[in-house]
Amino acid sequence: MEKTEKKRVLVVEDDEDVITYLSLWLSDQGFDVDVARDGNEATEKVKQRPPDLVTLDIVMPQKTGVKFYKEFKRDPRYAHIPVIIITGLQQEFKRFISHRRTAPPPEGYIAKPFSQEELLETIQRVLGEGAGQACGQKKGNCA
Amino acid sequence: MLDATLQAWLHTQLFEQVPVSIAIIDRNFVIVEHNRNFEELFGPGRGKKCHTVYKKQAGSCDACMAALSFQDGKVRVNDELGVDRNGHPAHYLVHMIPIVTPQGDIPYIIEMSTDITEIKRLQREYQVLFEKVPCYIAVLNRDYRIVKANELMRETFGATTGQYCWEVFKRRADRCEECPAELAFADGQTHVCEQEGINKQGEKTHYVVHAAPLSRTEEAVTHVMEMAVDVTRIYQLEQEKLEAERLAAVGQTVAGLAHGIKNILTGLHGGMYIFKSGLDRGDQGRIQQGWQMLDRNIEKISTLTRNLLSFSKGRVPEIQMVRPSDIVREVVELYRDAARQQEVELRAEIDSQMAPAPFDPEGLHTCLANLVANAIDACQMSERPSCAVTVRCREENEVILLEVEDQGCGMDYDIKQKVFTNFFTTKGEGGTGIGLLLTRKIIQEHGGKLEVDSSPGKGSLFRMIFPRSRLPKPAPRPESPPDPEAHPSEAKRQG
Repeated sequence: MEKTEKKRVLVVEDDEDVITYLSLWLSDQGFDVDVARDGNEATEKVKQRPPDLVTLDIVMPQKTGVKFYKEFKRDPRYAHIPVIIITGLQQEFKRFISHRRTAPPPEGYIAKPFSQEELLETIQRVLGEGAGQACGQKKGNCA
Repeated sequence: MLDATLQAWLHTQLFEQVPVSIAIIDRNFVIVEHNRNFEELFGPGRGKKCHTVYKKQAGSCDACMAALSFQDGKVRVNDELGVDRNGHPAHYLVHMIPIVTPQGDIPYIIEMSTDITEIKRLQREYQVLFEKVPCYIAVLNRDYRIVKANELMRETFGATTGQYCWEVFKRRADRCEECPAELAFADGQTHVCEQEGINKQGEKTHYVVHAAPLSRTEEAVTHVMEMAVDVTRIYQLEQEKLEAERLAAVGQTVAGLAHGIKNILTGLHGGMYIFKSGLDRGDQGRIQQGWQMLDRNIEKISTLTRNLLSFSKGRVPEIQMVRPSDIVREVVELYRDAARQQEVELRAEIDSQMAPAPFDPEGLHTCLANLVANAIDACQMSERPSCAVTVRCREENEVILLEVEDQGCGMDYDIKQKVFTNFFTTKGEGGTGIGLLLTRKIIQEHGGKLEVDSSPGKGSLFRMIFPRSRLPKPAPRPESPPDPEAHPSEAKRQG
């Protein structure tokens, strides 16, 4: 198999179990994974090394996902980096965040509890078909 | 000279000029003379029988007062209904004065009549107004007995005249503690209050009563008129609205719970994935990690369930005399650092002169803490470069007002209600979304209410309103006097 550089995903999430789940699953799909536990840490991580994709939780201590998202998308250095929001919030929030004038809508929106297929499809839509096929599969996991 | 002129005038003019109708009748009840006023009211009458002129009837009257005065020589005054010269009913008040000769004979009677048709008409109108006005009216004397009651009052509360007002309005055996009539008797002013009564069917009736003083002179108030508007239906609607709000709060709580459960479900999915992938790979480390994650999330859902059950049971409020301003200070101090970290300025505007009041300090602390946490979160969503949360504590007309105002986000009220509150109060130790419901419940336990004023772009104002009259009674504490400096234990933030 042709060796290609793995895509980097920054998982911004404060729930340890979700961090573990997403990290392992994304690694299994062939991504490099970095983790930030709130908006401030995410800002730092992005500065150090901009990722190819951000998955973003909304409810977090310190700086919330919304605040991080606004700053991130306003910054011309990072505005092109896609963001998939992964949250337990309902449709109202999706509508709300989609209608903010100060920031463009997120590239993806996944409601918790998410299915692996839905998440992989969204990631592939955002990053391209080749993403997440480290195991030679189009869908599913490598486990 | 003047006397002669005056006498001439009296002799020739007075009879015609006096503003009453005068007729002189003889013993045959024939009108021998009358003045111009009489003719204008009843028509020409000289030489005619009085009943044909006054009442336009052929026969004499059933109860003829003039006949009695011819017999006993006494002056009589009577209220009569006749017919005017145009055939319309005419009410008149007639004074009958016998003319007595030196020999003691009574050849004539002078009848002086005042037209009171207009007064009678006004009386009838007043009577219709009094009887038919769609509110309860009772006139009380100084003994608080009802001397007059209108139709709706009689229909609603039953036979009333002569009874004490408290017997009629409230089916009580003794006087009410709060009596607007007593105040009106005392100061001569109108007093208004809301009361709960019991109608003749034994049903509760809510009414707003105006007690207005009545007196014929400028001095003592002899009677009080109580006019009461029935607000039972409005009261019921208010209760229904409260219930609807309570249900809405329950709905929000359920939405919040759903959010909490989704997080746990994600944890369970994750645990399953890691456990299964560990089995597939024969990776003991993964199996262990997945198992622990499953275990932890099952524990989380158990905690959530326990908390929910304990909330539904509720804790018993411990009422004691406290200064609300002290609790506001505590909460502001508790959140000052958290606010600063999030670049939110937390201000307090406290009226330190407020007297202690009976509150459950822990409950009030929880309410304020929830609202302050929400307000700080609201600022996170703000478009402003800097954002402040202001907590106010003051008293107006025996009503304690605690306000939490933020300069938060520009969301409209609808979104705020549906999303914002659920979302930002859901995080934490299984307390998902319970914060708002708990806040309302505690406020209701104190007889208060929670008002929300929110406008897009300007932020939100949450106002807790506690009328002192509705606050619960403090629990008796015989071992020590009430302690206004009492400090409640810290309530954990639910946000």
